[in-house]
Amino acid sequence: MKEGKSVKFNLQPQNGRISPFKISKLLDPEASWDKDELGDVLHWIRQGVALVCGLLWGAVPFIGAIWIILFLLLSSGIIYGYYSIILKVDEEDFGGHGALLQEGLFASITVFLLVWILVYSLAHF
Amino acid sequence: MASVLSSFKYADSLAVLGISICTAFLCEGISWILIYRTSSYKSLRSSIDKASKKLEIMKTGDNKGGSNKKSKTKKIDRVETSLKESSRDLSLSKFKSGAVVALVLFVVFGLLNSLFEGKAVAKLPFSPAGFVQKMSHRGISGNDPTDCSMAFLSKDQLIWFSRRY
Repeated sequence: MKEGKSVKFNLQPQNGRISPFKISKLLDPEASWDKDELGDVLHWIRQGVALVCGLLWGAVPFIGAIWIILFLLLSSGIIYGYYSIILKVDEEDFGGHGALLQEGLFASITVFLLVWILVYSLAHF
Repeated sequence: MASVLSSFKYADSLAVLGISICTAFLCEGISWILIYRTSSYKSLRSSIDKASKKLEIMKTGDNKGGSNKKSKTKKIDRVETSLKESSRDLSLSKFKSGAVVALVLFVVFGLLNSLFEGKAVAKLPFSPAGFVQKMSHRGISGNDPTDCSMAFLSKDQLIWFSRRY
């Protein structure tokens, strides 16, 4: 049975102050996550992966629509591995795998395509 | 700098990127001036956030069972109604800025079209599918499906800038 993480909703700031987001929380499997917070982190990780993949795919260059599919699989795999293996969150508390995997998906596709096209066009012609 | 840029065959793609970035910032600025800095937006946003959190806690408490289920359901309905009204008011307040942003995008797209019509501003590293090719090859002569028009590139950029959050 998978150990789940409880979702905490902090209506009141603790000790009169809202605690700042800590970078160490990104790698802490014991941390508790707010739904919006986790969504934001997964969104920006996807954008970072899209940027790196776009730069790499364009520089080599990788050519063909198959590389779009590979990017989707890679970025989804990284996101899945991050929240299930590193953070060990219970996806049921956050709307299921679908909700977590689709965070930032569309935006990351546009970033990836944009960077891939630009780097390919500028570096190889 | 200009000579370095002009040595690239597809330097126009950088010009399209630059114009799209400026347009995105302009649209954000317009939205900020017309919506986000107003006190009515701030108070609507804060009431929606509070109502959403209150509703989730009430629903979580409701699932665990307990007495006075009828009064709890009534309370949940009241909070949901108030949330819907606030969301509707927020949408209405965004409508005005949305119209101005749409006008700005229309003008910029017309400008880009006049500057880069008929030119391939980038090279696609893949052959797009039929319906995508209609946009990516828009206005370009020749049969090479990997020639990319301004329309495809600028739409891609503007979609990202508008959806980044």
